[in-house]
Amino acid sequence: MSAPVRTNPISPDAVDLTTTFAGLSLPHPMMTASGCFAYGQQFAHFMDVSQLAGLSTKGISPAPRMGNPLPRICETASGMINSIGLENVGAEAFLAEKLPYLADLDVSVWVNFFGEDADAYVRCAEMLSAGADRGIDVLEMNISCPNIKKGGIEFGTVPEVAHRLTKRCVEATSLPIVVKLTPNAADVPAMAQAAYEAGAVGVSLINTITAMGIDVRTRKPRVATMYGGLSGPAVKPVALRMVHQIHTKHPDIPICGMGGILSGEDALEFLMAGASCLQVGTANFSEPPAALRVRDELRTLMAELGISNIPEIVGCIGRHDPEPTYAPEASWT
Amino acid sequence: MPPSQFGAQLVDNQALSGGYFTLRFACDAACGAPLSGIEPGQFIMVRGEWGREMLNPRAFSVLDAQADGSFSILIKIYGRGTAALSALRPGGAVTITGPLGRGFSAPADATQLLVAGGVGLPPLHLQAKRAAAAGRPEAVEMFYGGRNADDLVLTEPLDDWGVKTTYATEDGSRGHQGFVTGALEARLEAAKASGEAVEVLACGPTPMLRAVRTMGLAHDVRTLLCLEEEMACGFGVCLGCAVPVRGPKPYKYCCSDGPVFDAREVRWS
Repeated sequence: MSAPVRTNPISPDAVDLTTTFAGLSLPHPMMTASGCFAYGQQFAHFMDVSQLAGLSTKGISPAPRMGNPLPRICETASGMINSIGLENVGAEAFLAEKLPYLADLDVSVWVNFFGEDADAYVRCAEMLSAGADRGIDVLEMNISCPNIKKGGIEFGTVPEVAHRLTKRCVEATSLPIVVKLTPNAADVPAMAQAAYEAGAVGVSLINTITAMGIDVRTRKPRVATMYGGLSGPAVKPVALRMVHQIHTKHPDIPICGMGGILSGEDALEFLMAGASCLQVGTANFSEPPAALRVRDELRTLMAELGISNIPEIVGCIGRHDPEPTYAPEASWT
Repeated sequence: MPPSQFGAQLVDNQALSGGYFTLRFACDAACGAPLSGIEPGQFIMVRGEWGREMLNPRAFSVLDAQADGSFSILIKIYGRGTAALSALRPGGAVTITGPLGRGFSAPADATQLLVAGGVGLPPLHLQAKRAAAAGRPEAVEMFYGGRNADDLVLTEPLDDWGVKTTYATEDGSRGHQGFVTGALEARLEAAKASGEAVEVLACGPTPMLRAVRTMGLAHDVRTLLCLEEEMACGFGVCLGCAVPVRGPKPYKYCCSDGPVFDAREVRWS
């Protein structure tokens, strides 16, 4: 056992929440996650969206996609499974109809994108480059969605393939690329390294974990595609472990962490594991301004723990004190 | 009225026959009456203090909403969410998001035949109440079905409002024996014979809605269905509640395009 780190509480006003991610200055770490914020407008009813540090859009493909058959979602213990199928308006309509609203918000705009094959990824990156001077700050390359059938899976699970794809996209756009990693890979740090060495400015993780729910009465899967993606607090411990593994192996790679963040304490765990900015996903559904509440709770908790700034605690996790060596004693008999 | 998220407390949890409950809530004082202008068929997302285990709010159509900020819903226990809500006691806190979606319009020239089954009652009950309050109870007629008499709840107000109501039960314990769609069929035939303009508004179990849709299309009568799909957010973000439709796109969304859809538009086999 290790004793708590003893620090004196400080005033919440003395807590500096600013953070940097791959050279990007953010007023605080809290963003919203792709697929859980649509294109932002709906949230204006419930919150001041411009208070976010940033947001990641619904995944954009070169052409519009219509999404998967029903049912598409089910709730599970501390989470939910979705199989929406990357439904989106397509790059052209996104730039024309959705981007202007986001550009006016003065938050960091990350456009999540994907393609159905490698050429489509590159084409999408090229198309979205037209938004470079119209409000897009980052392209978040989704190599990790479990819900499209064609190809896809090797992009997210084989480092060499991810490296090649990332390199092509980096060369196709002037915008910085952050690669969003899947937890459904054998060696997540190797995937992060492959993306970073190919020119990505950082990584974001985790996407959903491939999962299944079963309705025992109908003997059918709870989502029509049989398997979907698990999100919510259920995945948080897995996400933390992966963020920590990447940060431990590759401390230079900027990490945007996510996976079931619901509270300030969750956020602080991710920062301590090695993330320097964070995204809130599933929580937005039940509580649209969740990311801003998390920001406020993070400030309060940091003050309580005497943490004055974010860089001080990013990746600060130490090991437990070693136990005294065990020496076998004489037998009782 | 744009949606908002606000707190409310349970005022009254009334057990009815057939396993139904009505829950009446009061909005937090500072919120005013955010639901008082709700259209019948519009809905709210309700979430109790459920911690992390049960994450998503549950969608309910509104049974009634008053100018003083109180409102009520009708529930029956189907799963974990409704079980938790049925156990709520006065003072119990919930978070509400709403009003959401698009509801029914008030009756115009055509008589509205309101077809209700099970927990699909609230939109039509409220539609009948509004018609009566507008001095036009004769502009609507209720067709209300259930398995047995216990399944038919909140029927006294319908009489008080002077709304003509036809009941149907599968065991014949109240009204016509059989499905409510049988009574509807007869009414549609009569309207056709007399040249009376009617339209159908329905909410209830999916098999009932499918039958109503088929009947409405066959009679070439405007038929509006208030649908239900599993949804996580209720305001057009999660895209979980897709409804198969005809037209330029294969899906619309129950929460933001509906929950009220024209039967001709819904792509059901």
